[in-house]
Amino acid sequence: MTIVAHLPQRALTLTEEESAAPPAMELTGRRRASPEERALSETIFREFHADPRYHEFVLGCLNCGECTTGCPAARFYDFSPREMLQIAETGDATTLWDALQEKIWACCQCYTCNMRCRFGNDIAGIISVMRELSVSHGVASTRKTLAPFGRSLTLLMTVGTQVSSDMIQPDFFRDWGPFATGSDRAWGVGADIMRRAIPSDVLQTTRSSWEVSVQTSLELFRIYEETGVLDMLRGLDPDLTEMLIDIIEERREEFEEARERFRTELEGMRGPVATFRG
Amino acid sequence: MNPILVLGAGPAGLSAAAEIAELGAPTILVEREAYLGGNPKRWHYSLLAPDLRPSDEILGPLIAKVEGNPRVELHRSTTVTKAERLPKGFRVTLKTGDALETQEVSAVVLATGFDHFDSRRKFEYGYGRYPDVLDFKELEGMIHDDRVLRPSDGKPPRRIAWILCVGSRDLQVGNPWCCRMGCAVSIKQAVEIRQKHPEIDAYVYYMDIRTYGLWEDLYWKSMQEYGVKFIRGRIGQVTIAEGGSQLLATGEDTILRRPTEVPFDMIVLASGMEPGTGTQEAAALFGVPVGPEGFLTPNLSDMNPVDSGLPGVFLAGAATGPKAIPDSVTEGMGAALRAYQYARN
Repeated sequence: MTIVAHLPQRALTLTEEESAAPPAMELTGRRRASPEERALSETIFREFHADPRYHEFVLGCLNCGECTTGCPAARFYDFSPREMLQIAETGDATTLWDALQEKIWACCQCYTCNMRCRFGNDIAGIISVMRELSVSHGVASTRKTLAPFGRSLTLLMTVGTQVSSDMIQPDFFRDWGPFATGSDRAWGVGADIMRRAIPSDVLQTTRSSWEVSVQTSLELFRIYEETGVLDMLRGLDPDLTEMLIDIIEERREEFEEARERFRTELEGMRGPVATFRG
Repeated sequence: MNPILVLGAGPAGLSAAAEIAELGAPTILVEREAYLGGNPKRWHYSLLAPDLRPSDEILGPLIAKVEGNPRVELHRSTTVTKAERLPKGFRVTLKTGDALETQEVSAVVLATGFDHFDSRRKFEYGYGRYPDVLDFKELEGMIHDDRVLRPSDGKPPRRIAWILCVGSRDLQVGNPWCCRMGCAVSIKQAVEIRQKHPEIDAYVYYMDIRTYGLWEDLYWKSMQEYGVKFIRGRIGQVTIAEGGSQLLATGEDTILRRPTEVPFDMIVLASGMEPGTGTQEAAALFGVPVGPEGFLTPNLSDMNPVDSGLPGVFLAGAATGPKAIPDSVTEGMGAALRAYQYARN
């Protein structure tokens, strides 16, 4: 007997009728939404339920709360993965809409809830589907929530990482920096001793390993373009998107120039180069 | 008529053997353990839900019916190692210690039962690591002997929590079925403890309470008359509380919608039911089909719940799925009748 034998098997594609199904219910006692807000919330609701991942991620819920037990966000915010799954299952568009305003951003996508779930739900996954929808529809509150993360986003989109060696300053890591004393016992010995134990040639590679080649940047950006990430971002922050495109254009020109230079040099050495792909 | 073989001497097997003998046919009752009475005897079950009668009062008369019965040939500490199909019935090899014995039987009743889920497999509850985390089958024995004490220091507990559905309704361990008796037995234990020791606080953590049918009375009374507390939500992990003497249960109160951390002196796990070792072996020996859960599958579970669909092979008790003792006794009677009809014709 395998666990897989018990996993529900469902079709991943929806019929036209199913994907067009409007919200099935409406909870009472809610604030009244403006017609625009209401229209957008219903569009998002429809798209959410038509997403093929919805039926793969949301299987059912016993409301046992084991997902919440391990959730780091639940300890600090009015947030619980169990509630998010209930929201994912509701037929009320306003409930989903309300969750998109703030709650979905409390999740730190650690996937502990998935490991705990005895029903086999992908809770962290369905939260990320909600995030995608609120970003691609440029939900006003999402724009506000993500505004302070412009720098991280720029780095992620251009070099694929949000930390670089130039950001690691002694002041940010006081237990390692000049203020560290022998009484810091995080590793059983003083941080100063730990620091002295790092060979200097290793310190050299910590700098080079953060460097991202131009090819990598361009390839990464192409992935963002072709998978629709860039379009999603355009809905959220058109200015930032234009800026990113400019940065990448510059890089692309840089790369083309370097390639041209290389080709000319190579031809000068041994005649025309038949094929060359960057 | 060749004798009818009954495999397993728990409530279902005892009931089947007693009834076959009552019908006038010779019976061979084979039990793997040295004692009769199955799981209830093995774990010294205390009072039985829902009527709160001592298990000995129910098992005692059942055992008395087969022990010393001239038509029942008893084989304790014995297993069946081989079964060959005959035109009618089987030729079976019985193994007792190193001694082998061959018998021809006209029909077989498989009453091979269940095993309690091994709670160590839900490692987050710390069963087997923390002495004060108990399986509820162990608490049964403690209540039976009226010695409800913390195994770690021998002191009486002040606060006890029950965690339901341990190894049941859980795809993480591959057991998505309900054990049917975990709710009733846990509530019954809480009631028994509150009856004798009203100073002990009893908390039951649940997803759903399934005291089905008339057993619901037990659930209501546990709150109304014995002050047992129910918290909707599961405990997701058990650790040692600050100070080291108590257990810390972390979970979500799903009605108040907040994560909770509560210290307890003792935590009791309601472990589920899995197909017993004997059930798995019997399935292989007699070629009885098993379902995805590993329990034996009756041919028509609604019309003929005790028929395997194979000629001369009948089923009774928890071998076909989680079952309470009254249901097992009833099925033993049904299987006895069906086996007798088959053997006589």
